[in-house]
Amino acid sequence: MSQNIMGEKIKGLYKSVCKDNYSAYTSGILVAILSILMLAWDRPWGATGAVRNWAEWLMYGIGAWGDDAPASFLKHTGSVIGLGFIGGAFVSACLGGDFAFRIPPKLEMVKGVIAGLFMGTGAAFAGGCNVGGFYNAIGNLSAHGFAMMLGLVFGAILGLKYTYWEMEKISWGQGGGKTIELPSALQAVLGLAALALGIWGAYAYAGAESEKIAKLSGTLMIAAALGYVFQRGRWCMIQGFREPHMTGECSLAKSVALSVAILAIGIAVIKYQGLREVEHYVRGVFGWGGVFGGVVFGFGAILAGGCGTGTLWRVGEGQIKLWIVVPFFGLSNAIVDNFVKNKEWEAAFGESAFLGKSVYMPETFLGYGGTIALILFAMAVWYVVVDWNEDTNKFTLEM
Amino acid sequence: MDVKVDKTLDAKGLSCPMPLLKTKKAINEIQSGQVLEILGTDPGSKNDLPGWCERSGHTFLGAEEGDGFFKFYIKKG
Repeated sequence: MSQNIMGEKIKGLYKSVCKDNYSAYTSGILVAILSILMLAWDRPWGATGAVRNWAEWLMYGIGAWGDDAPASFLKHTGSVIGLGFIGGAFVSACLGGDFAFRIPPKLEMVKGVIAGLFMGTGAAFAGGCNVGGFYNAIGNLSAHGFAMMLGLVFGAILGLKYTYWEMEKISWGQGGGKTIELPSALQAVLGLAALALGIWGAYAYAGAESEKIAKLSGTLMIAAALGYVFQRGRWCMIQGFREPHMTGECSLAKSVALSVAILAIGIAVIKYQGLREVEHYVRGVFGWGGVFGGVVFGFGAILAGGCGTGTLWRVGEGQIKLWIVVPFFGLSNAIVDNFVKNKEWEAAFGESAFLGKSVYMPETFLGYGGTIALILFAMAVWYVVVDWNEDTNKFTLEM
Repeated sequence: MDVKVDKTLDAKGLSCPMPLLKTKKAINEIQSGQVLEILGTDPGSKNDLPGWCERSGHTFLGAEEGDGFFKFYIKKG
């Protein structure tokens, strides 16, 4: 009898960890903790570095990248973060029975291409996608995160307006969506196989002679945990910016605000103590670059139906539209990034000053205390405004 | 599900946010008390649709799975 109860409890634990969706708040708190761990381990994480490295390989493959091969995607830290993240999302989708090849209608495929181009371009101006330009930017106490945040609000509104317009005016390419499902037993086997591959990979990295490569072991594991949590919670930052204007719903926005607050405190502890360089993720786009990049990226992310991270975890659950987004995101990012970081621009405007300033907030009059206070205040304002909007619908766009 | 369906929306293959947006539009085209059936493949809809119904005064009657897609039923409030 007692064994039966124990069996039930074990099943219950498995269901809570691997099957049920995590709440927005659980996801937000876990993402903040894992993001702090990632900095403690080595460096802050982002999504653009991966997508860009893969696109550089694509360009190299077709002979558009010059003679020197890009960094190996198994040794490039950004790429390893991306592989871990997608792998973690894949494991989560398979264990939860959510994995399927989801082939979208034609119009959605075209939107995937356009969305990728906008996202890559926006991320080049904003110093990263929603992670490197917003989430981990504010979290790393850099002012450029606020510039992109402002841009994301307007980008999301523009994207939504476009979407309303599209629903009225465009009837081309609607049907023909297909889903190829896999039996749930096969999904479970694939999920466990991917998990085993990831663990093997981490041990393989850990055994490497080079210290830099050995470090990738933890990077891979923490990134996989992030991908797992994002998929399980269906945690999507761009939804946090979009939903208040679409349905008024605000739980994602509130969970992102909470997550940023926890992250900033954790990172302040690490950077204040001098455990990691303060320069990590402090980028020179606090100015028009960050705002403009946020608008362009946000617009693209609405078309894609996922931000940088939202795109990657949906790749892991088999959404073909997002598979289309990734290469165009990477290609446009590589091209535009090379353009805006052009040496001649830098000579004319001084390093980085073209897109905006590089501001580590604790080094201004704010100090660490003032920086934390400012971030907590900004997140509290966002939280209250979206919560108020949920009841009043003042900022909700009518169709 | 044993209900009389007044309108069916095919959102198969569409991903976030299109299923919810199209639902919002389709519900405006039926009368209060009528039932909208939504066919979809995005796993996100399993949470999005009940949550949206609760906030906007419609009744989420339930979901069915099988044949490679989900069926959701909403009664307009």
